Amino acid sequence: MLLNLTDISNEPLQGQIVRQIRAKILAGELEPHTHLPSIRKLASSQHISVITVQRAYETLEREGLIHSRRGKGFFVSELSKDKRKDLARERLRETLESRIRAALAEGLSIEDINKVISNIYKEI
Amino acid sequence: MLGPINLDLEPGTVLGLVGPNGAGKTTFLQCLIGLLRADLGEITVFGRPNDPNHPEWKLDIGYVGDIPVFWECWTAAKNLQFVSQFYPDWSHKKASELADRFQLPLKKRAKDLSTGNRIKLSLIIALAHSPKLLLLDEPTSGMDPVVRVEVLDVLFEILETGDRAIIYTTHILPEISRLVDELVFLDNGQIRLRVNKEDLVNRWRKITFRYGRDVIPFQSVVSHRREGNDHQVISSDFPMILDQLRELGAENIQDNYMSIEEITVQILKGGRNVEIN
Repeated sequence: MLLNLTDISNEPLQGQIVRQIRAKILAGELEPHTHLPSIRKLASSQHISVITVQRAYETLEREGLIHSRRGKGFFVSELSKDKRKDLARERLRETLESRIRAALAEGLSIEDINKVISNIYKEI
Repeated sequence: MLGPINLDLEPGTVLGLVGPNGAGKTTFLQCLIGLLRADLGEITVFGRPNDPNHPEWKLDIGYVGDIPVFWECWTAAKNLQFVSQFYPDWSHKKASELADRFQLPLKKRAKDLSTGNRIKLSLIIALAHSPKLLLLDEPTSGMDPVVRVEVLDVLFEILETGDRAIIYTTHILPEISRLVDELVFLDNGQIRLRVNKEDLVNRWRKITFRYGRDVIPFQSVVSHRREGNDHQVISSDFPMILDQLRELGAENIQDNYMSIEEITVQILKGGRNVEIN
């Protein structure tokens, strides 16, 4: 598995791994039941520490995107439509929350923000 | 004065030893491998005391550091041959594979080797007997970036088997920040803080916000700057301080992650509240 990790980012390596593997799974590039590289293998091939990969896998497992089988390692989980939607909703919320907080601090009202969002819809 | 220091390492993990000059990092490693004798007290590795009359305790350890572990007027090849007889688990195959890979000029005398090649020779001596514990004291100092990556490649490979542990000291923090699982901060010969790297990265943040008054010193605030109503704090517990600032009514709270290097500086500067709960 190839990941694109950089030290020049505000996002720590753990977050980069989670985001990139998540994207691969949601895009179907990693299909359900795919065997993921072992923690040690991925750490060695990406030149990152074991603890970083371990925490990244734990996050993905908590999100329900991957699961572990005792002694066999980690596998991509099967995702229901609802589950996919839940994940998408969560991520949208995460991204929007900080932006909306910033916009409010910059003096926009909730109506202003809603107007921006509906304008974006018209353009898409 | 060094110690008492008690470090348990899980197999397959890397522990980064950081601290200001004179904190005792190098002394600690040299005591473990027996290059220095403790004036007082005793040292035990893998349950065995390091007794110069019973050097078996060294069999499970490899060391790369300032003090050369080879004879200067012998060729690199002869040095490898000589050292090999002390280790029952020495693998000539492994030694020559590493020498090939590092393109080490085996026929040159040790004293004629470049800094980089001297460290490579030390590394081969340290690795050819497959030690369970590898002690690396600033192993990449004096190396050019390409050689440094070659050495790191080898280290990542030996970690893959999961049965070897490394203690690593360096001042080149960006490099260690990818390799290590845990960081131990040494100060005045004592462990000041031992922390899992991911916890460190996740919890420490630089936060800016607007607030009209001086802020009550929260427990996790390591440093605080103020210009008018703008504040910038460094916190060692982001989730907690975020709640506290919101409760206080601070506005436009922005946070940024910090590099291991930045966090290390804060910890070594010895600001208050650097402890992680």
